[in-house]
Formats: sequence, structure tokens, C-alpha cells
Amino acid sequence: MDTTVLIWYVIFIIAMLFFFGTAVVITVIGVRDLKDLLSGSATKQ
Amino acid sequence: MNFHLIDWIILFAYLGLSVFVGIRAKRYVENMEGYFVAGRRVKVALGSATLIATEIGVVTFMYFAELGYVTGFSCFILGIIGFFGYMVIGKTGFIVSGLRKLKVITIPEYYELRYGRNVRLLGGILLFLGGVLNMGVFLRMDGIFLTETMGFGPNVLAIVMTVMLLIVISYTVVGGMFSVVITDFIQFVVLAFGMLIATAFVLIRVDFATIGTVVLKQFGEAGVNPLVNPRFGWTFLIWMMIGSIAISALNQPAVSKSFASESASVGRKVFLYTGITLAGRYMIPMFWGVAALAMFGPTMNPTTAMPRLLGTVVPSGFLGLMIAGMLAASMSTYSAYLLAWSSVATRDIIEPLSKKEFSEKTTMRLSKIISTLIGIFILVFGLFYELPATAFQYIAITGAMYAAGAFGCVAFGLYWKRANIVGAYCSLCFGAVAPVGFLVLEQLKGVLPSSMLFLIDVNVSGFMSFVLAALGMILGSLATQRSHPPIVLKPKEEGA
Repeated sequence: MDTTVLIWYVIFIIAMLFFFGTAVVITVIGVRDLKDLLSGSATKQ
Repeated sequence: MNFHLIDWIILFAYLGLSVFVGIRAKRYVENMEGYFVAGRRVKVALGSATLIATEIGVVTFMYFAELGYVTGFSCFILGIIGFFGYMVIGKTGFIVSGLRKLKVITIPEYYELRYGRNVRLLGGILLFLGGVLNMGVFLRMDGIFLTETMGFGPNVLAIVMTVMLLIVISYTVVGGMFSVVITDFIQFVVLAFGMLIATAFVLIRVDFATIGTVVLKQFGEAGVNPLVNPRFGWTFLIWMMIGSIAISALNQPAVSKSFASESASVGRKVFLYTGITLAGRYMIPMFWGVAALAMFGPTMNPTTAMPRLLGTVVPSGFLGLMIAGMLAASMSTYSAYLLAWSSVATRDIIEPLSKKEFSEKTTMRLSKIISTLIGIFILVFGLFYELPATAFQYIAITGAMYAAGAFGCVAFGLYWKRANIVGAYCSLCFGAVAPVGFLVLEQLKGVLPSSMLFLIDVNVSGFMSFVLAALGMILGSLATQRSHPPIVLKPKEEGA
């Protein structure tokens, strides 16, 4: 495989890992944040 | 037909859930700040999820995939540039922290504080026009994606576009930013999963080695080196370097999420964490586009190649999940954009023109009416307007129409004490000249003399918009320091 293509693939895989890794972390912590936001908000009945 | 019963069930279950949750969020809207910025109580992870969901839509998948199809790996450079742009903002709080400390809801509000009410009006009009034109192609691109992946063909495009729009308007108009934040979070989770599924199935069908070989055969060095690619080059890259920071920090739908955060520090961190994901969310759809080139060859319509690929390689069941993810991405983008542009129209155009202060109730009611009108506009525009260039070029140049002037006004306003009202007018007008010139002259390219053809080079126009906006601010301010002394602002929120 061409070296430049290989470099782009390495960058692409790192970028994918950052994306999906951060997505997992944000999802887990985001659930807690969402609960805080809604529990701290007065509701209109 | 690629779409089967199980896919429909998954899709309808997801759409039903989104609308139900979005409308239920109405219970939490107590006042105007609740409606527009969710009471400014959003924390880092939730803010990051909602910002990412806003910035990813089917339209972004479509134009990045189109770029991948026509430029190979060269376009991956945009992911790297965008990543560094967000890192600069996330690390330094450039622009977003300054605006958050002033507790503004829209960017033109800052113009009024720093330069006066008329600058707010002009800035609001440019922001609104550029923003709505920018959004004009979203629905059409989304419609093409759905009809291609589901296998319906172009005949049902208008119906698909209308249904999507009705769903989003229903909960955005009712629930405001609370709806947007809650549904964005659900949509973020679903779309990340959808992207993972799509990438996995693409890689099962087309391997890395084949894709690399096809790109080199099709484009040669231009497929791996953006500097020699005829669509890019240095002008484009410099434009993107400036533009990535400007548009990231000043794109009203995105910064609304920063304004909704519980402090300036949280707003800055939201950009930092969002930036970490940026290279991936640019490169993944670009990779799908490159894979479509390897799978179908170079003769396809670049716009439809990627959706055709996904519709072909993703099996039934997973296809429903993936489409739900993609729809999730689009719905979160629409809802945030509708809310952002309607808030600009209400607060920065109609209210200043009417010369009286609106009650919170009136502001929210007007905003809902304008959201609906914008929705109708993008439906009609999407059905009848033919793009003058690639979708990415169109989005970038209409973005520059408002971002260049806004960047001149806000960046200089926050960090240069001599910035004044004359500089602001010059910056806004000069920044809009090159993009508007491009959109007009592009229609007349058949009659333009060859010496003027550089004016319809989208890269030159985009780059010049930022240069002219900066020059306008600097020269306009320096020439009128005595007649128009600058206004000095003090932040409303200390620390943070």
C-alpha cells in the first residue's frame, strides 16, 4: 500500500477512535447531566 | 426497495419517541431564557452531546461524502483543520467565553452592546439571510439521502422532505431549547451508533487496500495531497483555517449551545470535547464517499453515490437503525437551526425595527411563527433551487456571508479596544461582498471576461471575505476614532 495512503488511514483510524470513544464517555456522563438539568427545572402543570 | 417491515418499525418507534419526548419538554419552559437557552443550566457532557448532534446532520454526511467521492483522501485535511480550530477555541475560550460572560442570547445582541442598535439590526439581517440561505439546501440533501438509501427513488422526494419538516417543527416550536437539548442527547446516542454500524458494513464490503488502490488510480497524487488537488490548494486551506475558527465560534446554532451552558468555563469545555470528535465526524462520511468510489467507480452522480452505497451494503434491520440515526442527526440540526435563526429574526430584526420592547411571551410567540415560516421556505427552496457548485462549496460560501463580518465585529470587538461602529459597518458589509458577488457572478459566468473569472473561484471568494472584513474593521475604526469613540464593555459575570 502507498505510504501516503497508509498515513491517511492511520489518521482516519485515530479520528474514529476519538469520535466513538468520546461518544461513549459523553453518553454515560450526559445521562447524569440530563437528570440534573430536568430535576433542577420547575415544571409547568 | 431496500427498506423492509422491520426497518419501518424501528424508524417509526424512534420518530414517535423523539416527538413525544420533545413535546413533553414543554413542561420545563418557564420563561424566555428557558425557551432560548434552556435556563443556562447545561453541563459539559450534555452540552457536548447537543453541540455534536447539532453539527452533524445528513447534509454534513452528504457534502463530506460528495467531497470524498470527488477528491479522495485529500479532503481528510478538513478534519484536521477543523480539529485544530475547535482546539483553539476549547483551550483559549476565544470569542465564546467573552460572549458567554456578557450573557447574550444571540450574536447581534453583542453588536448592540459594543457598537449600537443599528449595527445589531444590520448584523441581524445579514446573519439571518446568510443562515437561512445556508440552511436552504439541508432538506433537499436529506431527502435525497433518504430516498436513495431506502430505495424509493426521486419521485417521493417532496413527500419525505415535508414529513421530516413537520416532525421537527412540531417539537422545536413547542418546547424550545429544552426540547432541543433533550432530543439532541437521544439523537446523539442514536446517530453515533448509526455511524458505527454504517462504517462496519462498508468495511465488510470494501477493504482498505482496494479503496487506496482505486483512489491512486483515479486521482493520482491529487487524491492524497490536498495542495496539488485542483479543488483545494493553498487559498482553500488558508480560508478553511480562518473559517473553521470563525464559523465554529460564531455559528449561531452552535454558539447557542455554549450560551446555554451553566458558565463561561463550561461553554469553553463544551467546545474542547466537541473538538476531539470533530476529525472523526468529518472523516467518517468522507470515507464512505471514497468507499463509494471504490465500489461503483467514478461515473455516478457524486451526490447520490454515498447513500446508494449505504443502501446497498447495510442489511435490513440494521438499515432501519442506521436511517433512524441519520434522521436523528438531521432532526437535531434542524431544530437547533430553526430555534437559532428564529431567535435572531425576532430579537435582532423585528424588535429593533418595531422600536418597542416585546414581552417574553410575544418574543416566544413570534419566534415560533418565524420557525414555521423558515421551515416552509427551506421546503420550497429545496424543491426548486439548483446548486451552483458542490454542496460543500455552497454551504461554505453562504456561511462566509455572515461569518466573515461577524468574525470581524466580534473578534475585534472583544480583543481590540479601538474597534468602533464605523469599523463594524465596514466589516459586516465588506465581509458579505465577496460571497454575494460569487453567488451572483456564478450565474453570469458565461458572459464574464476571462480576466474576471477569478471572482467566481469559490476559494478566492471565501478567503477574500475574511480579509475584506478584517480590513474593513481596522481601516474603518482607525479612520474614525475621534468622531466615533469606541464603547468599552464590562462582563456581567466575573470569574468562570
